[in-house]
Amino acid sequence: MMVFVHGGVPGITPYASGPHIWGPLPKGALAVEVRGHTVDAMTASVRQAIKGKCHLVGHDLGGLLALNLAIEAPELVSGVTAVASVAAAPTGDGVPNLTLAYPPEPLWSKHSQRWALERVSYSHAHVSDELVNACVSAAGKQSPMTPREYEDEFVPSLMKAKSRFYEVCRSEGVKVPCQVIWGSHDPLTSVDQGLWLFRGLAQKQRAAQFHVINRAGALPFREEPAAFHQVLAAFADAV
Amino acid sequence: MPLPQGKWLDVDGLRTRYYEAGRGEPIVFIYGGNFGTGDSASSAYTWSENLLPLSEHFHAIVFDKAGQGETDNPRNDEYTMAAVVRHAAAFIRALKLPPVHLVGHSRGGYAAARLALENHELVKSLTVVNSGTLSPGIGTNEVVLAKPPYPAGTRECVRWVYQNYSFNPGVVTDEWVDAVMFTLGIPKYQESVRKMTLGKLGSKLFLPELAREKRETLQWINEGRLQRPIQVIWGFDDRTAVIDRGIELYNLFSCHERRALFHVINQSGHFPFREHPKRFNALIRRWVESLA
Repeated sequence: MMVFVHGGVPGITPYASGPHIWGPLPKGALAVEVRGHTVDAMTASVRQAIKGKCHLVGHDLGGLLALNLAIEAPELVSGVTAVASVAAAPTGDGVPNLTLAYPPEPLWSKHSQRWALERVSYSHAHVSDELVNACVSAAGKQSPMTPREYEDEFVPSLMKAKSRFYEVCRSEGVKVPCQVIWGSHDPLTSVDQGLWLFRGLAQKQRAAQFHVINRAGALPFREEPAAFHQVLAAFADAV
Repeated sequence: MPLPQGKWLDVDGLRTRYYEAGRGEPIVFIYGGNFGTGDSASSAYTWSENLLPLSEHFHAIVFDKAGQGETDNPRNDEYTMAAVVRHAAAFIRALKLPPVHLVGHSRGGYAAARLALENHELVKSLTVVNSGTLSPGIGTNEVVLAKPPYPAGTRECVRWVYQNYSFNPGVVTDEWVDAVMFTLGIPKYQESVRKMTLGKLGSKLFLPELAREKRETLQWINEGRLQRPIQVIWGFDDRTAVIDRGIELYNLFSCHERRALFHVINQSGHFPFREHPKRFNALIRRWVESLA
């Protein structure tokens, strides 16, 4: 079974992600709602939502949550696909990415979210009214993190989770097959950053793969859904 | 995994060995290497882990290139890549196939791309696998495989060469070595070795001509002339065509073609389709299905 785990931090990311972000799912797949204000709490919410052993497909922060769960409970996870997972990828002494630096107000309004979704994409074509309305609806339901909570709770939990993830990659390795999928034109990152996430996983996990989908930004599953699901299906066939 | 019963076809006067199985979308595989090498020798067997599994879904075809495997040597001593590409295109035409999905590895990746550039009507999609020959950057075969510590033409030498190509030396089975030794023992192949080495056709003809044509081929790709869906598949641990070569190649293709994918397979050297056949075959299967 495939379980899709969305990314985004409620109240911080200028578009409200959620199960709706994935679009149509493969038959039998499930998209979960992530809850909590720390990476551990969010991971626990994913664990609670899954039913039986599954392949986790995580977008951005969702990718890190999926890897986190695969480390904590490999018996529950048959494989992980991390998609445009800037949250899981190493950053080094990077400079701030300014793609979403100045969102128009009011934040999480239709106008503001459309602006953000278009900014993180290669093409605006996939940013439909339906998507924007779903994001607005999601923003209304989510419990937003305050900037204080983000800095004091979320960011330290993210740093801790990433550090543990890299240590596991270096030592015993993530115990389940893993693949990384990246958009070729992701304004939030570079293909090189995705490749370094793959390099980390590849140290100890034999069944590791890396894929680039052309003419796609931070949401490759929306911009090139056929190519995205083709890559997912090939991995499921083989591992 | 054995190949099915081999067949013969006359292709522009060259007796050509080929193997086929299955029905449906045609996939034609082009292996790497070139004629006249004495320490290793590719043949249709190179695709032994792929032909039958993929024939469960498609019409899968592998053939021996001009001068390689059991196929006749090029006529009039035309030991050039151009002659290899011409023969490959003529082979596809002779089989009267609808446009094929070409899968080319290493030097075969170059041949596949050049074939597509010169014969668009024959090609539906292109898959390039660990091809240092096609990539604009520096290939490192001559560094990694310099002066094998065993005499050319011996089993030990063959095993050493392919083990150094691979991530896992254990993937070089006796069966693989047997297949290479069979090719090395064919009199017409030995003639190609003599001509390419003692006759200096390798250094005087094959390599300079390939270099000249490669410039043109890359220029054509840069001009956006390929115009077919393309995927690049790369073994991550290949020391002879390192991952940077694959990235360069993908960047060349992807700026002109929306349907361009790049796949990296971990713990694989130069032959990802032999080291990880299940994963490689799954990528090919889903790719061809997506374009059918």
